[in-house]
Amino acid sequence: MTEFGRQLGIGPTDNTSDQRTPRKRLRLIPQQARASFVPVAPARAITRANEWDMTRVAPDRPRAEGVPIEVTGTVRNENGTPVRNGLIEIWSANHFGRYRHIEDQSGLRLDENFFGMGRVLTDDDGKYRFWTISPGAYLARPDIGRWRPKHIHLSITGGSARLITQMYFPDEPNNASDPMAILMGDAFERNIGRPYDVAGKDVDQGFGFDVTVGGKNATFFE
Amino acid sequence: MTKNARDNALLPTNEDTCGPYFPIYFQDDSLEDLTRVGPGIVADVAGTQILLRGRVLDRHGDLAHGVVMEFWQANAKGVYRTPATANDADIDPWFHGYGRLRADTGEYKFRTILPGGVGNRAPNITITIFSDGISRIVTQMFFADDPRNADDPLFSALGADEQTRLIARHDGRTANGAEVYCFDIVMAGPNETPFFDDLES
Repeated sequence: MTEFGRQLGIGPTDNTSDQRTPRKRLRLIPQQARASFVPVAPARAITRANEWDMTRVAPDRPRAEGVPIEVTGTVRNENGTPVRNGLIEIWSANHFGRYRHIEDQSGLRLDENFFGMGRVLTDDDGKYRFWTISPGAYLARPDIGRWRPKHIHLSITGGSARLITQMYFPDEPNNASDPMAILMGDAFERNIGRPYDVAGKDVDQGFGFDVTVGGKNATFFE
Repeated sequence: MTKNARDNALLPTNEDTCGPYFPIYFQDDSLEDLTRVGPGIVADVAGTQILLRGRVLDRHGDLAHGVVMEFWQANAKGVYRTPATANDADIDPWFHGYGRLRADTGEYKFRTILPGGVGNRAPNITITIFSDGISRIVTQMFFADDPRNADDPLFSALGADEQTRLIARHDGRTANGAEVYCFDIVMAGPNETPFFDDLES
């Protein structure tokens, strides 16, 4: 008989979470089948040279509106081993809270100088860096006045390490009411970028965001 | 792993939803059709080509638009391409077995080859879904009428209703030389697809 594992939580005030969260407990994987649940993505190198600087749509174009920021960090697994040559796909809303995505129907302002998407690779030490514009918060549920706090999406793929997460910003008023932050509880702290000094750099703020890809999959082939 | 090593383990960054706006810009055709390597490149992937198609549905039976799907499978000879199989003679140099697509409308098409069975496992494809409203869910899909299903350690442990929800069925057609299989995924509700816990297993 199948044994059961986690019951996934439904994000409070999140309609899509109500529609898409499995109601049954997840099933535990029998030991004989466990290895088959460890995808290993091939290394990819499809970043364009300028994608690390999302503050411009091209090197010869003006800076986007808003506060330019740098985000840096190291990606590791739970054992502390760096995730090398990992692909980080980054996307976020612009300064006004609007995604340049064909399905974002919010009507908020677009900025011709901001795409809000880029890709970088981690180096041999698992380190990464990118520049972007500090994203705007946006009203996710106008009917109840619930906002999505400022956040940057990061998708990390490196061998058997796989994580989609978000970096949040410290001391934002909407952090506490975010459905996913509520599900994370105290662990939400781990998803907040740590400010650092950027004197001498062509950005206004810096945020350190070290990422630990958890779970057995990420350490399976060590 | 020893208890001491677990005590020193780093605390994991929380998984979080990919939201509704995963950039379509990040799509990669060579990850949506594993029989191709890249535009204009002659590839020679071994095995029976299949086109897997279907719908991802929510609790109300509506299409779950904008989900990101990832696929993982063995090659036609039943070998996964991992660090552990780097020197396996049955590795297919043209096949890596990892796929990804964004199902913009909630319907998807994924072209690949029929995986071989690995050890006592029936042929299967692991499918991961990232979506707005959830962080990540994982399931495994099997092929109708494969005699190895009955002895598969994961499939055989499930009840009959749940087994039915993990079966892809040939719809009798071929598409550009690929056998067409249909597989719908129900994320939540009475007909919910069985999902598996790869964190606590």
